[in-house]
Amino acid sequence: MTMLRPIRRDIIVIVATLLALAIGAVLFAWSGLYNIAASKGHWPIVEAMLRFGMSNSVELRAAMIDAPDLRDEDLVAVGGNHYRSGCAYCHGAPGVKASPVSQSSLPPPPDLSDVSKRWNDSELFWIVKNGIKYTGMPAWVSQNRDDEVWALVAFLKALKTLSRDEYVALQPGAGASASAIAREAAANCDGCHGASGEGPRSAMVPVIAGQKRDYLIAALEDYVSGVRESGFMQPIASDLAPAAIAAFAAHYADRARPTRVDGTAAADVEAGRRLAVAGAAQSGIPACNSCHAADALASYPLLWGQSATYIAAQLRRWKTGAGRRGERSAIMAPIAKRLSDQQIEAVSAFYAAFRPEQAAK
Amino acid sequence: VRQGAPYLLATCALGLAACEDSHSVLSPHGPAASSIAALTWFLFGLVTAVFGIVMAATWLAIRGPQSVRNRIAQRRAIVAGGVAFPAVVLSGLLIYGIWLMRAEASQAEPDLRVEVSGEQWWWRVRYRLPDGRAIESANEIRLPVGQSVALSLTSPDVIHSLWIPSLAGKVDMIPGRVTTLRLKADRAGVYRGACAEYCGGPHALMALHAVAMPAPDFAAWLDGRAGARQALNESQTRGLGLFKSAGCGACHAVDGTDANGAIGPNLTDFGARRSIGAGLLPMSRENTARFVVHGQRLKPGNRMPPFQIFSAGQLSDLTAYLVGLR
Repeated sequence: MTMLRPIRRDIIVIVATLLALAIGAVLFAWSGLYNIAASKGHWPIVEAMLRFGMSNSVELRAAMIDAPDLRDEDLVAVGGNHYRSGCAYCHGAPGVKASPVSQSSLPPPPDLSDVSKRWNDSELFWIVKNGIKYTGMPAWVSQNRDDEVWALVAFLKALKTLSRDEYVALQPGAGASASAIAREAAANCDGCHGASGEGPRSAMVPVIAGQKRDYLIAALEDYVSGVRESGFMQPIASDLAPAAIAAFAAHYADRARPTRVDGTAAADVEAGRRLAVAGAAQSGIPACNSCHAADALASYPLLWGQSATYIAAQLRRWKTGAGRRGERSAIMAPIAKRLSDQQIEAVSAFYAAFRPEQAAK
Repeated sequence: VRQGAPYLLATCALGLAACEDSHSVLSPHGPAASSIAALTWFLFGLVTAVFGIVMAATWLAIRGPQSVRNRIAQRRAIVAGGVAFPAVVLSGLLIYGIWLMRAEASQAEPDLRVEVSGEQWWWRVRYRLPDGRAIESANEIRLPVGQSVALSLTSPDVIHSLWIPSLAGKVDMIPGRVTTLRLKADRAGVYRGACAEYCGGPHALMALHAVAMPAPDFAAWLDGRAGARQALNESQTRGLGLFKSAGCGACHAVDGTDANGAIGPNLTDFGARRSIGAGLLPMSRENTARFVVHGQRLKPGNRMPPFQIFSAGQLSDLTAYLVGLR
């Protein structure tokens, strides 16, 4: 018993000290003595500690993330378009200075031209997806669109060698048409979805020219409500008034479908055609055309001429359970789950290459 | 006692239901089911008698006069009561059972053959017409009263078991094989059946009805199924348009239209059936709409996606069309 007494005294001292520290901290916060001003910066030692803790936290959490191959023009193109609207304001871009407003925050958002030297792919992915506390760096709008995050990482890596002219080339040209909607579409949508007559700049991006109007409206409304997730599209759609949604939908529905055929090389297009026309009853797969032909419900999308990469990506996301939700997805998701990987490739390639004129012959 | 009264009442009601429901082993309406019921009652009586004998012997062994207890304890009594008696009784039972069930193993050509396939989780029913054509229906087997019927059973993927207790015993439906269930309905009526072999998720919601009808009515029905369809009113015409444009025909067939899907149930006589979703809900327009919209909540795991895309007006047109299919 006598042995325990000094230990018990030590414990009391430790607890009392901790309590005094906690009370002191509360009193300090209550007093208002701490200067919260971004203009004042941190003490150098605090700054160093914060950076040390931040980089270790990112390294630890990114350690388990496997980076895919990011050497893909399509990824860079679509990532670049989002960078222009979502990131360049704070971080700057080749030939574009970061806004002095953002640079006055604490910490100031770093210049990213050599960011791929400071962080590896997985670490960049983790930062872009999750954001960083207390810095103003936001998380990705959707936590379910890793594909979009990787596209941005691909662009960040390309930043190192990207010239001013190359960066400017990623931006959409000014619309030739006089109508306000067309000008806005050119500024907001054509950048990714392609100007009139062209396909999208990236095969990751869906063809929306010549798509059914009701479907486009429904898709934009789903982005607004959040049942359809995308860090690219949700911020854009949320800015649109219902009247603007209807106007954009009509604008794109009236355009001709582009003629470009994307990525159908290795797939078995004939097997895809059979699936599209007849389905595979033994596997419970209905014929795709029964919902995706031109005479089906206006809220079902057209698929012909669509990017094969895009169709396959959507089907795979439904198949793995990461797909979008909502009323139409509830119909598509169980069917996508019944498709094999080969069937997904085949049917995506078939629709990318198919033109309705072929059926008439 | 007062608190127990509702439970007692409920128990009585259950007991009564067992006697009158069309889904009961104890109310047989065909020879095969009658044999099973006879065997059941015979077994029940025999087992009651044996139980009485064992109880009596036990009582005598404890409380009986010394002379009786001595006799029970003899080796001869144990051999006679414990070996010879069960052997004789069980052998007799086996012979009686085989003799009773001989009708089910009959090889004689039936009056009618119906193909029934156990799907996940519904029943595909096919009648072959004399001219070789097939009439397909689902979740309801129509039978002519008094005629011997052989159901050819199979399954495309997993094992099911068809059991219509008031008409016959259960027979498994095995992928890659055709098994046969013979039955005959003695009188007209609707007899409920169910899947009696666990077959995945909604197994418990996989029921069907056997509808026994007078032979002339059955022939007329089959002719009607093979014949032309009736005209549609305005709402039904819009419903047919929706049925096509929403893609229903990719999985469901309606004879006489270009809807020829073979994945889900054939809907040609949908409105004439007693239930929706394989015995799930009674047939009505409201329930049809509920199944179309909330099918995954009503029968979780079934293969039909929920269609929540229709407006109230569209649902009304669609169900008018579906329930009008006869």
